[in-house]
Amino acid sequence: MAAHVRDNLTSYTFLAPFLIIFLVFLAYPVFYSLYLALHQVPADSYDIFGGLEFVGFANFAKLFSDVRFWWSVLMTLYYAVLIIPSGIAFSLTLALLLNNRLKAVAVYRSAFFMPYVLDMLVVGIVWTLIYSPHFGVLVRMFESVGITAFSERGFLGTPASAMPAVVAANVLKGAGFGMILYLSAIQNIPKSLYEAAEIDGASGWQRFRSITLPLVKPITFFMVIIGTISALNAFAEVYAMTSGGPNIDVGGRALGATWVTGYYVFDAFYNQFKLGYAASMSYVLLALTLVITFVNRRFLSSEE
Amino acid sequence: MSPTKQRTIRMAAVYVGLTIGAIVVLFPFFWMIVTAFKQPGQAFTPEIFPSNPTLENFKRVLTDYGFARYFVNSVIVATTAALFATIFATFAGYVFAKKRFAGRDRVFGFLLLSLMIPGMMYVVPQFAIINKLGWMNTYQAMIVPHLANVFGLFLMRQYMMTIPSELLEAAKIDGAGEWKAFMTIMVPLSVPIIATLFLLTFQFHWNNFLWQLIVTNVERLYTVPVGLALFRSQHEQSYTLIMAGSCISVLPIAAIFFFAQRYFIEGMTMGAVKG
Repeated sequence: MAAHVRDNLTSYTFLAPFLIIFLVFLAYPVFYSLYLALHQVPADSYDIFGGLEFVGFANFAKLFSDVRFWWSVLMTLYYAVLIIPSGIAFSLTLALLLNNRLKAVAVYRSAFFMPYVLDMLVVGIVWTLIYSPHFGVLVRMFESVGITAFSERGFLGTPASAMPAVVAANVLKGAGFGMILYLSAIQNIPKSLYEAAEIDGASGWQRFRSITLPLVKPITFFMVIIGTISALNAFAEVYAMTSGGPNIDVGGRALGATWVTGYYVFDAFYNQFKLGYAASMSYVLLALTLVITFVNRRFLSSEE
Repeated sequence: MSPTKQRTIRMAAVYVGLTIGAIVVLFPFFWMIVTAFKQPGQAFTPEIFPSNPTLENFKRVLTDYGFARYFVNSVIVATTAALFATIFATFAGYVFAKKRFAGRDRVFGFLLLSLMIPGMMYVVPQFAIINKLGWMNTYQAMIVPHLANVFGLFLMRQYMMTIPSELLEAAKIDGAGEWKAFMTIMVPLSVPIIATLFLLTFQFHWNNFLWQLIVTNVERLYTVPVGLALFRSQHEQSYTLIMAGSCISVLPIAAIFFFAQRYFIEGMTMGAVKG
């Protein structure tokens, strides 16, 4: 057997287990999902796989006139707009604070990073206790300074505060990740740049604006991309804390204040057994992800 | 003000800022633990530390509500999945780092492309596939679909590329076959990344709530997060019990993180810094 043939054979033998799982469970589903999006479970069928009927683009057509879907896209954007800047600001602040010659750097580093490795579902459940109405610890803290607006329904039950509350829980959980990225980027900036700026009389804020911020831009870009993708995928935090609620009245319709698209996909599929509809929604999610990633890339790289 | 004095004030401000930050970030976990030790049904007492702490909540969720069983299931799923995901990624990482073969770069690019796809996209078709295979309510349904970890493969390849190829060639000159060279040279030299990947995939599977919820609907197969979510929906106000369940769910990962934090922090941030 020729040497290169044997090489190919050994290589693909080593690759086989990974590649087979990849093809069956990661590559094929992308296409299978399109197939499902073009079908639906017949109305009179209890077997969701028994006889899927072909409906063409009916699911997509229904989707484009579904107010709850467009509302979910809006809520997903709202979620992203809240979580991306606040996540970046909080992790960058922590990184700047840690970038001082401190005694206990390692302790702080692990304290901030630890929540990141824990389960979003459980963290969300713990926050429902903290955000509880009447006797919840946060409601009590607010009451002690005279704010009673959240006492009756809690932070997650009050429409105006529900989304910010979900976002806050998530930012605090995830900040350690961005912090580590920013910290290593900051530590790679040559000290001589800061020294030169100091000699020129630049203030601390000026040094931050014109040295630190531009030089950590690749991290900021990465954080925006990651933030966008996680907003489009947001599910566990909503499942754990609000189930998409609380409802608000929008032009006579009851719509959920935290009804993000990721949760709608789950709801359509798990609670309503609408496989095809959920699949078509996830296809729109994929398209949105690609468009937003592309726009981000263009926008952030043309800023130079 | 003298420069030293200025510096002292600055450092004090930094410590205060960091400490406040740490208190805010860790408060939920503190509150979870404190509440789990309060008397059953007394979750909303205003005291910060329970005046007569009790283990009753833990006892009840473990024995009356099946969390012991859920815990065993989580251990089985996360350990098996982490083991196989790591082995598969080690095999694949090796050939992408050290072998030349037809289509190598195209296959690798194709694999990386999948990292762009939002996870929600997979839920419906993977569920349908599991159904077709007749795997509903089995351990393999929870494990197998996530055994091809592309990010892990990427980490593995990056690491293995730094191992000198001369070592492999030397082993082959000494008469070692492909498999022997892999096992005696690559694997021992890649122990740090193998350990990292094992821990990361273990953590991923321990927390893989949505998928585990979807493919199981019999109690004997529930994992801890699934059991916890369903317990909560039936006992909405039993917060002392819910918090005891939450402790059982997060403490294993927190403990592993405590002892192996370097692996977690480096492994999770490595891809981002390089890319």
